[in-house]
Amino acid sequence: MTTDRSKGRRDFLKAVAIGSTAVAGAAAGMFGTPGLPATGFGVTRARAEGTRYRMAFIQWQPHTVPAAWSKGIEEVLTPQQVIDYELLDGQNKVEVQVSLMDTLISQGASVIFLQPIDSVALAPSIAKAKRAGISVITLNIDATEPHASHVEMNHYYGAMDIAKAMGDAMGGKGKVAILNAPPGIIIRDQRTNGFVEGMKQHHPGIQIVADQVADWDRKKAQDVLNTILAANPDLGGAYGVNDSMALGAVDVAKEKGLLGKFVVFGNDGETAALESIEAGELTGTQYTDVYQQGRLAAAAATVLATGGVEAGAFAQQSRLLMPYVIATKANAGSIQPSQRW
Amino acid sequence: MTIRFASAALVLFFAATIAFFSVSAPRFATASTVENLMSSFSFVAILAMGQAFPLLVRGIDLSIGAIVGLVGMVVFDLSLIFQVPGWIILPAALLVGTAAGALNGALVVCLRLQPFIATLATLAAYRGLTYAVSGRQLVPGLTTTPIRDPWIVGIETYLDVGRWTGLSTFVNMPWLPLSFVIMLGVFVVLQAALSSTRFGRDVYATGGNHEAARLAGIPIGTVTVCAYSISGFCAAIAALIMVARFTTATEALGTGMELSSIAAAVIGGVSLAGGVGAMFGPAVGAFLLGTILIGLTLQGVPQFVQQIITGAILLAAVGYDRLLWLRRERRPAAGAGPA
Amino acid sequence: MSAQAAPVLNARGLSKVYGNLVALADADFAVRPGEVRALIGSNGAGKSTLVKILTGAIVPTGGRVEIGGEPVPLGDPLGMIRRGVACIYQHSNLAPAMSVLDNIFLGRQPTGRFGIVDTRRQRREAAALLARHGIEIALDAPVGTLPTVKQKEVEILKALALDARVILMDEPTAWLASADVARLHATIRALRQRGVAIVYISHVLDEIFAVCDTVTIMRDGRVVAESQLAETDRAQVVQLMVGETLARETVAAARQQRRPRGTGEIRLRVRDLGRRGVFGGVSFDLHAGEILCLTGLIGSKRTELVRCIFGSDRFDAGTIEIDGRAVSPRSPVEGIASGIGFVPEDRHREGLMLDMTVTDNLVMATLDRHRRGPLLSLAGMARAGRRAIDDLSVRPPGGGTAVKLLSGGNQQKVLVGKWLALGPRILILDEPTVGVDIGAKAEIYAILRREREKGAAILMVSSDLEEVMTVADRIGVMVSGRLSAVHDAGSVGMDEIVREIGGGTP
Repeated sequence: MTTDRSKGRRDFLKAVAIGSTAVAGAAAGMFGTPGLPATGFGVTRARAEGTRYRMAFIQWQPHTVPAAWSKGIEEVLTPQQVIDYELLDGQNKVEVQVSLMDTLISQGASVIFLQPIDSVALAPSIAKAKRAGISVITLNIDATEPHASHVEMNHYYGAMDIAKAMGDAMGGKGKVAILNAPPGIIIRDQRTNGFVEGMKQHHPGIQIVADQVADWDRKKAQDVLNTILAANPDLGGAYGVNDSMALGAVDVAKEKGLLGKFVVFGNDGETAALESIEAGELTGTQYTDVYQQGRLAAAAATVLATGGVEAGAFAQQSRLLMPYVIATKANAGSIQPSQRW
Repeated sequence: MTIRFASAALVLFFAATIAFFSVSAPRFATASTVENLMSSFSFVAILAMGQAFPLLVRGIDLSIGAIVGLVGMVVFDLSLIFQVPGWIILPAALLVGTAAGALNGALVVCLRLQPFIATLATLAAYRGLTYAVSGRQLVPGLTTTPIRDPWIVGIETYLDVGRWTGLSTFVNMPWLPLSFVIMLGVFVVLQAALSSTRFGRDVYATGGNHEAARLAGIPIGTVTVCAYSISGFCAAIAALIMVARFTTATEALGTGMELSSIAAAVIGGVSLAGGVGAMFGPAVGAFLLGTILIGLTLQGVPQFVQQIITGAILLAAVGYDRLLWLRRERRPAAGAGPA
Repeated sequence: MSAQAAPVLNARGLSKVYGNLVALADADFAVRPGEVRALIGSNGAGKSTLVKILTGAIVPTGGRVEIGGEPVPLGDPLGMIRRGVACIYQHSNLAPAMSVLDNIFLGRQPTGRFGIVDTRRQRREAAALLARHGIEIALDAPVGTLPTVKQKEVEILKALALDARVILMDEPTAWLASADVARLHATIRALRQRGVAIVYISHVLDEIFAVCDTVTIMRDGRVVAESQLAETDRAQVVQLMVGETLARETVAAARQQRRPRGTGEIRLRVRDLGRRGVFGGVSFDLHAGEILCLTGLIGSKRTELVRCIFGSDRFDAGTIEIDGRAVSPRSPVEGIASGIGFVPEDRHREGLMLDMTVTDNLVMATLDRHRRGPLLSLAGMARAGRRAIDDLSVRPPGGGTAVKLLSGGNQQKVLVGKWLALGPRILILDEPTVGVDIGAKAEIYAILRREREKGAAILMVSSDLEEVMTVADRIGVMVSGRLSAVHDAGSVGMDEIVREIGGGTP
């Protein structure tokens, strides 16, 4: 008789195993069709022994997610003695990121990790980097200019699974509200559309009655949800497109004494969310091992830099979807402390 | 003309900063860094020059960054939603920016609002308007559509000056960004207006002694509105340059630029009390700030340290300016004393 | 001098009412070409209001103005300038960062195409102007760096450059040394020859009788008299201004109360006081119950000396003893703690909080007295304010009036009152009656004398010799930073003082 707990752990391990093979497969896919001659203005980087490689990560702004990516990247890069890595801050301004890209390009970086603030605005800079023979790896937010690699949390399918889990928890019927990000960001659309699709597929009896912007922010989410509740007193659940907003919904539920009846799901998988799940407050979230995401990105970077592989040699941009787990009370405990971020 | 161009000290400091970074930061003294500096900071220089005008008439324009955002979004909408051709969009953008600036001027003159308050209000209003008209939110697919109109995108071109002048055979020349040429154009026109026209003198008089200007018959209301309109106009030019560079506009475009423009202008010798300053200083100030930021990044200095250093330089510039002023006041000037 | 020509400026029935306050009532004012008309009256008499209407700075509630026989629209400064009415104001009307040349042509620079300034023509015209009036000044110097004297000259040049038909001069010699005054008067005479009409607003009767042809006297918002100066004398003029023979009484009474030197303990003893490059070797004693006036030319560093005694500036040689104790005040706080009150020269910039009320200003230095725990007793402050207002005859007598609305004389009384509230043992005043009308002057002298009776030691810097002769018990003369002599006021004549001031030996 398997207990819930060990079942949860096995599910988790299964997910990780599948995820790893996915990674391996994707990595294999990355090698696509090597050997194509460098085209255009690209310069083939023939690295002699003893050169140092410069890599940097331009984040959006200081936040737990990019901080965890950076840590993961560092874990992989630092032991490799020939790589210099630094974390740069985009200060939430597109022009700062573009300027940093220019600086790194003129510095002769070999790989740039980028969390673009805007998918279109950074495209020219990525093009410029490509022309200079620099590989660009984007994290979570894609850009409209094809580049070496894009590593993202599985926004779309993860959101679908969240919808499924949420519907299950609500018994297949009721009303839900979405606490959303400011418009104009791809990841928002992916997470929202996946959720909506998932509900349609798995739980058509559940009605999405509201979809309001809460600016990724916990406090704003509280205010927004209060307003929605006032209009829909029989609301059964809320989906926060990120954990901060979901936790805001939890705050409201606690305040109104609705815990246990009100279903809240988040997305990201931060430590605060996991703890909330274990305490029985937040119902669940999509957990991605963000450190792992950083490590994988770094691994790809290392190969690109030291393996003498020309970034422009890939037929198409590789896209790496991170494995994830829908963490609920049942399996949250199996997520190790060292994996929490 | 006793109007200060830029204290020699500023230019010297700029040169010293360049020398310092050439030695201490790897790959600073390269063509690509110069190119980077020009393309990333020409629009800051334009904003600084625009900001100088409200400062000169003893006011301030806190909304200049919001105007950049508004104009940027207008360009985005016109180009991607309404498919308006670029050669119509360019003058339309300039018009919107100038009008936004003129509204600032009207608030200061007609409603007699303090410039700080008036432009703080328009800062919020214009930014809100930017979100309200944002094509990226009205038509969701546009978030991933770059602007391809040649008239707009053409602003972000690089001129191979090295090849034209033949200099590239000797030294690795940076390619000259068109935005830098635009900045030079703006500089020439605005400086000429300030130093050689009646309007320029009226600007200095209005800022130097408001009441004296009024009693001398200078139309201080008109001069003030013009000053703020120039600020808006420069914001529009900066917006066009940025939209060309990014091939898109974001709702947050221009956030924080009012502070950079004020800092660059003050470092460049424009007095916050009005009546003192010219165009050369703010432009140099903008590039000085850019040099420091790029140099420090190349050296690997953490970014919060960069902000501390920028603040320290601003403090030093203001303090040095004050020191010069005090020393001038204390010196007995020529022709003093009883007969 | 003034032909019986038609007036170039003719104002009829001008009035201006601010709410309940009648600043000007039914005033007529006219000047002919080539006439120098003095305009005198106590502050609050309506002089400034009349001037503001004539320059277009404000719009009158009633009345009309004709220039050259034609009626003109009012309230338009540029319009008045274009019709040839120029004004030289008491307070600086220049843009300090701009050059002399730019200020002379402020708002009227000659322009070519696109509004580009024709600098060559500007310079040519300015040079001609300077030559014509025999003034020397560096055209490119920023005006803010010039001494006050030169700034006044620039203002005069500005008016002259307008080729005005009427020039109004508001207290033109307030900050000028006597040699410069003579030059100004010569300029005025030259202008008169050329047919320019001049309105000369001043309190200095000597100057008025020296250079003006006619006089208009105002009191309480009305024109009370007009006269040819040749047909009247000082006493009559003052009488008409003040409405009684107060001035005569004041002078006589003052001379009676003069005291011989030496009575009373020595409150302040200054020995060899010096500040490098400014003044040096100054020694004198100040007794309780006396008024010692320091006089001299502008630039003799009297202000610098008294600021060092008070503590607003540092001295680097010599000693100061107060009540026998050596002190070295390094800041006004220490000066006040030693019992010194200091009424500074520029009451607007250094003395009063113009936007605050009369009561606030009066109690500003003695707020501690009104503290009840952590809060201030507003009732106590109001009471103290009322008492002081009564004492000093401040008009209008409302503690809640903003001090900037008061006339110059009343503002000065408030400032003195602020310091008197401290009960200082030594009271230093720096040019306390500049820009103050005769009525208020008399009242201030009375206040000072009263304090003297109470035993205060008063040190007063004054460039007004008539004032010095009226008020002082002892007179000290400073020349170029050195104290040349101290005289007993009863035993020295004005000529001797004048000679000493000019640098001659007594």
